[in-house]
Amino acid sequence: MLITITGGKGGTGKTLCAVNIASMFKNHGYNVLLIDGDVENPNTYLLLGGQLEKKVAVPFFKPKISEEKCTKCGLCAENCTTHALLHVNDSYPIPILSLCSGCKLCYKICPDKAIEEDYKVVGWTYKTIVNDITLMLGELKPSEARSAAIVESLLEDLDKIISENSNKYDVIILDTAPGAHCDVELLIKRADLVIPVTEPTKFGKMDLMRIMELIKLLGKDTKVIVNRSTLLGFKQEFLKELEERGIEILGDIPLDNDIVASYCQGIPIMDDKSTYNREGDGYIAFKQIFENLLKWMHNTNKKVK
Amino acid sequence: MDIIIAVPSATLNGGLNDQMDARFGRCHSFTIVTLKNKEIIEVKVTPNPAYEELGGAGVLASQAVHNSGATEVIVGSLGPNAINSLNSLKIKAYHVSSNNLSVKEAIDLYLDGKLEILESANVVKHHGGM
Repeated sequence: MLITITGGKGGTGKTLCAVNIASMFKNHGYNVLLIDGDVENPNTYLLLGGQLEKKVAVPFFKPKISEEKCTKCGLCAENCTTHALLHVNDSYPIPILSLCSGCKLCYKICPDKAIEEDYKVVGWTYKTIVNDITLMLGELKPSEARSAAIVESLLEDLDKIISENSNKYDVIILDTAPGAHCDVELLIKRADLVIPVTEPTKFGKMDLMRIMELIKLLGKDTKVIVNRSTLLGFKQEFLKELEERGIEILGDIPLDNDIVASYCQGIPIMDDKSTYNREGDGYIAFKQIFENLLKWMHNTNKKVK
Repeated sequence: MDIIIAVPSATLNGGLNDQMDARFGRCHSFTIVTLKNKEIIEVKVTPNPAYEELGGAGVLASQAVHNSGATEVIVGSLGPNAINSLNSLKIKAYHVSSNNLSVKEAIDLYLDGKLEILESANVVKHHGGM
């Protein structure tokens, strides 16, 4: 089963929910794989209290012109949709790499095979096991723009794991970046269930509506978590409005000191080894969310342990 | 020796009396002026293929300038891809800071030696905006 945790707005608690839901599944004996797809700010390992390991570079195509083979015909530059190849009569094409989308069209259509595959590193992926949860994480190299290449690389690794043994993990949780852009879309596309995490503010609602639009376009099952639900007493009003819009709620998490402390210490509050108050509002809220998740799994014939 | 200069022009008509366009990649056309001994001996106009492009306009416009035979260009602003392209093609860019000049007035400033060579981009990408 694959759950994608997203939300539109930044800082709503997506990663907080991702690590705690992962921890609750683990506590119940599920094999859990957590993938951090927020490649511009990958920090799931900090919330889990782990370290980055097994660093692998993510390569990105760039054209390399072979002057021995190039006949200066200009076909590559004429067909480059982003105009990343500068070509004038009687000269070799000059790659303008900041414009290159990495599509390899030039490489494929060159009649003289004069364009060679070259690569630059645009980021890295990591794999580590923290407290019995397998974590995969991507990191975009600062100043690089092609974040989707890192997300795609993580998904290729995921596909490899699934093709080798589809039963290796019972639950796969994908944690997305804020926003409703292509990185987020790639991760929502894979989901059996999408959980947007929002907060009862105007910003939270605005960004939730945008992400709901994307999820609807992709035709995915959705249940929302409202985090910091007791913020300034907006809870009832906010939940009512979501209900009126036909948005299903998985649960809400009140403001809670234990959650803040666990966040700062890098020990998920719901981990069975954590020492936080089992009767606290935050703890009970997460427990309720997990029960609602198990109910959803049962109703949709997902395997429940 | 003849010097051929391209001036970004605000309309498709171009020519000495057209307004100079402060934008390079997204001007409508280039007025191509040939100078001999500080005299204008020929004026031609070539459309800018890049003026409606979403991206890479600086690259396309630089190609058009090069193909017109020009080795120098007078500009108001240049983005990073445009200046890289012009440098790669060994086309010198002279900077004019005043607005609302005609193409002829820009050429006169050049002939009076009042324009300096622009060494690096002075606006960000997509400045001329689509």
